[in-house]
Amino acid sequence: MKTKLVLNFNPEASNLPITHNLTAKYGLLVNILRAEIDEVGGKMVIEVSGKADSIKTGISYLKEAGVGVRPIKEGVRRDDEACTHCGVCISICPTKALILDSKTHKVIFKEEKCVACGVCIDACPPRAMEILI
Amino acid sequence: MKKNKRPSGPKTFTDISTRARDGDAVVMTAMEFKEFVKTNGVKKAAKEVDIVTTGTFGAMCSSGAYFNFGHSDPPIKMQRAWLDGIPAYGGLAAVDVYLGATELDDSNNMMHGGAHVIEDLVRGRAVRLKATAHATDCYPLKEIDTYVSLKTINQAVLMNVRNCYQNYAAASNTSGRTMYTYMGKLLPELGNATYCSSGELSPLLNDPLYRTIGIGSRIFLGGGEGFVIWEGTQFNTGVERTPNGVPKRPAGSLAVLGDLKQMTPEFVKGLTFTRYGATLGLGIGVPIPILDEDMAKACAVTDKDISTAIFDYAQQTRARPVLAEVTYAQLGSGEVDIKGRRVPTSPLSSIYKARKIAELLKKSVAKGDFVLTEPVQRLPLDRSFKPLDTRSEKEAMK
Ligand code: SF4
Ligand code: SF4
Repeated sequence: MKTKLVLNFNPEASNLPITHNLTAKYGLLVNILRAEIDEVGGKMVIEVSGKADSIKTGISYLKEAGVGVRPIKEGVRRDDEACTHCGVCISICPTKALILDSKTHKVIFKEEKCVACGVCIDACPPRAMEILI
Repeated sequence: MKKNKRPSGPKTFTDISTRARDGDAVVMTAMEFKEFVKTNGVKKAAKEVDIVTTGTFGAMCSSGAYFNFGHSDPPIKMQRAWLDGIPAYGGLAAVDVYLGATELDDSNNMMHGGAHVIEDLVRGRAVRLKATAHATDCYPLKEIDTYVSLKTINQAVLMNVRNCYQNYAAASNTSGRTMYTYMGKLLPELGNATYCSSGELSPLLNDPLYRTIGIGSRIFLGGGEGFVIWEGTQFNTGVERTPNGVPKRPAGSLAVLGDLKQMTPEFVKGLTFTRYGATLGLGIGVPIPILDEDMAKACAVTDKDISTAIFDYAQQTRARPVLAEVTYAQLGSGEVDIKGRRVPTSPLSSIYKARKIAELLKKSVAKGDFVLTEPVQRLPLDRSFKPLDTRSEKEAMK
């Protein structure tokens, strides 16, 4: 199983070797998609893969360590009513999470591909894309 | 398809609009018509089809709306006016103002410009009107602070001096930094390319020599009905064209007008292009009568036959270098070749909404609800586009 998580750290938690621990203690493969950490803490977008049970215990470990954990779905949202399907975002999204459906001519947001990089946010003319992390 | 008697030769505008008013016209969207021509040929299409509906939805700068608020008691002659903080031009009369779509407030907050206020009004919201004046004997009030909505405003009229560009330039960026332009976010080192036309669905690309679209044409405007009122500004007929008359660069454009009270938020949208500013997203559709085979041929145009140039927006000059000549079919494929690199593309213009407009228009034309009007005057065929140079008084007179 694979899942994408958005992690929020306070300064103390930023010093923990969390990716190492997720791998060593819970047998999870961790792929860091995005990381921004400074003196006031930071955030990280990771993709973890492993057994469903191990992911669950891994998430509990993170929470106990004081790390905020949220699924990526809660990280980036599109306001479907505001989207005009103009396609501005399709050439700038690095992971092709925003693509043009050739049948309906609508722009589809594939949340599971999104890595919350934020590139589309200020490019969307009606501001339909929103980043919550 | 209806099998009523049809003249075999060319049809007049009046024949077609009368038939449409009676609900007897054969109407197709631009998408359907192109398919029909592919299988049946131009001759048959010219004979059997009466009207083709086109559509476009995109950022249309050079838009704005004028309002008449009615008189306050005591009355005021508004000199400076603001709608939700956005300055509106009051130098017309006492209570008439014009609000430009790209206007921003004093802090240059691009997230909320004139276009957003226009959308708010269309959504039925109330907006705050503030105005100041030098008092006169007939207009003694010096300032007013109140709320208005489309219910309280007398005339609320969208009046745009340049919309619906016939073809448009495409953009990319060879520099090392992201550029924020009216063509959207252009990623560094040819990271992407953007273009802005609904191509084969676009009204003026289906009537390249302005035979049927002219001053007085009734059009779909922002969800309501409007009219073409003049040639659009920057109208330029002197560009290179294909043998079928399709321009290869931005050419004609339309000045349009329509009642804001009829419009819907689906087709009137406040937009923000980061670090460029606010602009209005607007839907326009025009029905084109198929007068003869030439008109059928014109409306059979496809994205393969329409081309434009990708300009390098890294060059911040009037004459930007051309990076590539491409067709809309290439642009629409999602990737184009620029100097040997595969560059992903973005349309900016919503093809989804353009198609929807063509479909809505088809329905109301076929029902006889939307009445075609013959232009009272044709758009010019001899306009050039002059630059603005720094010149002396004498040079300006030459
Ligand atoms: S840029 Fe925004 S409005 Fe345009 S298609 Fe993408 S999400 Fe929709
Ligand atoms: S934040 Fe936007 S640009 Fe980045 S991956 Fe998600 S959808 Fe794509």
